[in-house]
Amino acid sequence: MTAENLAAAAFRLREVGVLAALGVAVLFFTVRATNFLTVDNWQDIAKDVAIVVVVGIGETMVILTRNIDLSVASIVGLSAFVTADTLAAHNGAPLVLVALLAMGVGVLLGLVNGLLVTVGRVPAIIATLATLAIYRGLAFQVTNGEAISAFRLPDSFLNIAASKPAGVPTLAWIALGVALVGAAILRWAPWARDFYAIGSNPDAARVAGIHTGRRIVMAFAMCGALSGLGGFMWASRYPTVDAVSATDFELDVITAVVIGGVNVFGGSGSVLGVVLGAVLVATIQNGFTLLHLSEFWKLFFNGFAIVVAVAINALVTHRVQDALRRRRRAQVLAARHIEAEV
Amino acid sequence: MKRVLLMAGRLLARWETLLVIAIIGVGIWSTTLSPFFLLRANLLDLLTPYAFIGLMAFGLAFVVIAGEIDISVASILAVSVVCFSQLYDKGLNVWLALVAGLVVATMLGCINGVLVGIFDLPSLAITLGTLAAYQGLAYVILPGEGVAAFPEGVTKFGGGYVDNELPIALLVLVAFAIALGFVLHATRFGRYLYTIGSNREAARFAGIPVARVRVTVFAISGFMAGVAGIVYLGYFGSARADAAQGSLLDVVTAVVLGGIDIFGGSGSMLGVFLALVLVAELRNGMQLANIAGDTQNIVIGVLLLTAIVVGNVTRAIQARGLPSGLRRKGVIATATVTAGLGTEPEPQELKGR
Amino acid sequence: MSTTAPPFVELRGVSKSYGGVHALTDVGLVVEAGTVHALVGENGAGKSTLVKILTGIVQADEGEIRIDGEPVQIGDPQAAHRRGIAAMYQEPTVFPDLTVAENVFAGRHLRTRWRAVDWRAIRRETERILEEFEVDLGSSTPVSGLGVADRQLLEIAKALSTSARLLIMDEPTAALSPHEVENLFAIARRLRERGVAIVFISHRLEEAAAVADVVTVLRDGRHVATRPTAELPQAEIVRLMVGRSLDALFPKEEAEIGDVVLDARSLGRRGVFSDVSFHLRRGEIVGLAGFVGSGRTEVARAIFGIDSLDQGELSVEGRRFKPRSPRSALRRGLAYLPEDRLQQGLVQTMPIVKNLSMAVLPELTPGGVLRPRRERSLARRFIEQLRIKATSATQIVRSLSGGNQQKVVLGKWLAAEPRILILDEPTHGVDVGTKADVHRTISQLAARGLTILMISSELPEILGMSDRVLVMREGRLVAEFTREQATQEGIVRAAAGVEAA
Repeated sequence: MTAENLAAAAFRLREVGVLAALGVAVLFFTVRATNFLTVDNWQDIAKDVAIVVVVGIGETMVILTRNIDLSVASIVGLSAFVTADTLAAHNGAPLVLVALLAMGVGVLLGLVNGLLVTVGRVPAIIATLATLAIYRGLAFQVTNGEAISAFRLPDSFLNIAASKPAGVPTLAWIALGVALVGAAILRWAPWARDFYAIGSNPDAARVAGIHTGRRIVMAFAMCGALSGLGGFMWASRYPTVDAVSATDFELDVITAVVIGGVNVFGGSGSVLGVVLGAVLVATIQNGFTLLHLSEFWKLFFNGFAIVVAVAINALVTHRVQDALRRRRRAQVLAARHIEAEV
Repeated sequence: MKRVLLMAGRLLARWETLLVIAIIGVGIWSTTLSPFFLLRANLLDLLTPYAFIGLMAFGLAFVVIAGEIDISVASILAVSVVCFSQLYDKGLNVWLALVAGLVVATMLGCINGVLVGIFDLPSLAITLGTLAAYQGLAYVILPGEGVAAFPEGVTKFGGGYVDNELPIALLVLVAFAIALGFVLHATRFGRYLYTIGSNREAARFAGIPVARVRVTVFAISGFMAGVAGIVYLGYFGSARADAAQGSLLDVVTAVVLGGIDIFGGSGSMLGVFLALVLVAELRNGMQLANIAGDTQNIVIGVLLLTAIVVGNVTRAIQARGLPSGLRRKGVIATATVTAGLGTEPEPQELKGR
Repeated sequence: MSTTAPPFVELRGVSKSYGGVHALTDVGLVVEAGTVHALVGENGAGKSTLVKILTGIVQADEGEIRIDGEPVQIGDPQAAHRRGIAAMYQEPTVFPDLTVAENVFAGRHLRTRWRAVDWRAIRRETERILEEFEVDLGSSTPVSGLGVADRQLLEIAKALSTSARLLIMDEPTAALSPHEVENLFAIARRLRERGVAIVFISHRLEEAAAVADVVTVLRDGRHVATRPTAELPQAEIVRLMVGRSLDALFPKEEAEIGDVVLDARSLGRRGVFSDVSFHLRRGEIVGLAGFVGSGRTEVARAIFGIDSLDQGELSVEGRRFKPRSPRSALRRGLAYLPEDRLQQGLVQTMPIVKNLSMAVLPELTPGGVLRPRRERSLARRFIEQLRIKATSATQIVRSLSGGNQQKVVLGKWLAAEPRILILDEPTHGVDVGTKADVHRTISQLAARGLTILMISSELPEILGMSDRVLVMREGRLVAEFTREQATQEGIVRAAAGVEAA
């Protein structure tokens, strides 16, 4: 097994690993929990996964560039409210337009994040920690402390969360669509490919002529847009929308992304990984619920998973590469001295 | 005369002075909102609701000066509080329970410390994970409504008053500010923190026990979160797993606004204290102006961002002078580093190969 | 080589100084298209400064650069790229998470009609380049799995895809096996046939002889000679590299040489150095010479506990010593002045006082409490003793000159009262006056009974200061000379592995 083959395998290993873990989890819960493998249960899982996937793809784009966006939950909450508010006031509004509106709100908020990080040079963690609070505060302002209840919303909208064409919830179809588009973008859009380069080696990216500032802003804007869409979906799934909607949701998203093999240092990650990660996280959480474990183990699990994923990534990849490199050099030096003595 | 002016100028340009000016300014604004602001009782009580935030901020400041970050402090506070509460509820002596809470907090900090200091994992990602894990743990330990009846001996730390006027929380805050300030500015350990935060490699080469110091600093951060928990209990009167939910913003703001460089290596305890005063004053004033809590967060968030951006701009001007030279030198510097030719193109440094 | 067309790149009268140090003085260079041009010289001869000027990283103070006969300005790396100048270093800059093809086309993806990334075209084009120059890489291989040799090939492919006309290879062969070196040379020859100019920098003279058409020798920042390789045997190159008069006076005091204080037996670190054995005596100054990459610094770092030793034994003052960390080394009486004083030796944002006391804080702070007065008096002592030129002890180190910064680093270690002092390029980037100061100090220290291991690339310094000279090459200790036996040529020959003429 040459070093090249090893690395290529490691490339694919992440997704395979998540898939394997998923298999184990499904097996485990099928055996230990009742009602795990029912259609109903999985339709429920699918709805949760759907929103995490949509926002997760956006978060991935940011993480690819070696940044992070903690404010996604606030963006989801704010755009959920804008969605609900608009629909409550204009029951007949075309849903697609409202969705675009939600995404528009998200783009604006994402742009602010991006500008803070690039022009303001505020470290992404601090910037998005601040905007997490600021956007949540804006949500509060906008809602005026009121909630929008479900019966004010048009049936066509609520149907999005309720309907299951071909047995698969509409929300999941939307997520699938977004995943396909997202994967296409990450594969074929030149500016998206730049995300990978920037995260892999920011200095080399700059020298190669990539406009890192512009791209990072773009990544945050995309994340905002997808969070906006996620907000639209959220409002249909949890139709009583108020100022605290989607609080702490960012942890679900980040856990799914990190478990799905997206490297926290940037430079690598895939949509497939995000989907698998989201499914794995949702599965485990669903399993916990069915096993009657406290729902709060969910939060603990999220955190624990992040720590483990980061640790594995840092320890395994770097140490292995380092050891490989030293072995090669030893061989080179030995060969040199042998040839000199010959 | 000129020397005096020069010294005065240097004093004025210090970050702490700016904070004092801001505090006075906000104070004036608050007085316009309500004449009660200037009452002695009110002024003394200003910091009481934020004492626990200040204590966490002191601990976090240590970590940031050493070049890392710890966003799990609020979660550590939560675990500490619920542990104490459950132990006391199950019959353990209240003082032992208190100590247990502190021990738990310190241990959680140690875990962070070991992961970051010994395994060299990125503190941001790790404390993001422990933020969630510890918070989850807190909910598991105490799922519902918390215990509310605590003996006065405990609650006095957070909610008690001396002579009905001087809040004990304020005394606790000031005491820790002084003690930690002493550690930071007058002990070897504090010097180690600044050195490691400025240049970890040089510190290591000079024989400083870098790993040990880093583990310790996270333990301190955890411990302070535990202390903050005690004060929190005293002031709010009940222990819940979502204690200090949402306080992270204020804690980070107090640290950054206090002049602690987010990249490590500089800052003072006095700055953090003044920043805390400013934040407390602002929130207090906004409350007088009937601005809701979540809206207040907008202001604090903006304040945090402004503090950093201003810091960046001043640093950039100090280092390069003219903004036009900024980008080009950045390209050259990074290209040099990238090309493996060494460090920044120091004018006096010759790297001939 | 054409006689009518102007050379592709020409440098005339190029000079560059850093502070008071002249990196290049009035250097001329002519690089013709379709030639392999070797650039040789000792460490510090000015080769890398020349490269930096050509690649736009720094600007020359004086002189002119001409491309195709026209004077040009190369203001930044992008400008150099645009003019077809590409460089490849020992540690190639790559995107480890991307594939080979992606690395080549990073930032300038080929597009399809709909402006999407055209992977097929990118793959085809990458494979075409790889095939044309017979580079053995797969276009879809993830770069993280590639070794240094392959990463270099990647850089070459990248340069070729941007139609580079000049490819500068800076010490490319240091990490390559003999087979990989052959491979690299074959590619270089093919490039040459295509009209690409190659500037090949190496201290391995046999390689220069094997692949280059022309050799240019630099010495102390000046151009010494440019001749066709055929006319320049290696021994002659060595003579040109070092041929300088040793008229600099080194104030070396007589020191009484005592017992062995450090005994190193078969020290080894996987992939870096092996079987290094030597001893140091009290009062001795031992010079350690060798080219970059020979392992000198690595040996020092291992002895000082920064990196780990895989094999070998070390005893200090008769007792076994396992260097576990800088702290443990310090406690045993060792001190190490790193080569990169800015990054590793000083905390730039701190004042002189705090830097000077950094290594001895435990002694200065009984009970853990800082004693500013003790620190200040320590600072005063060393500022005086080392003649550090500063406005006050509270001056921030960053604003000191290179020479004075070096003195601060030296002071920091002297404060720890070490018995064995390892100096890594102690006068690198230091002006002449300060250099003499540093040498005087070193000499005095030895006279007082300190033992000094001095890693240096400046031959006059080694010859002037050392009681003995050790030479390393490719991770092994290959020669030892006494003060009487050592000559510039002898040392360089040992370092380069060249037979005596």
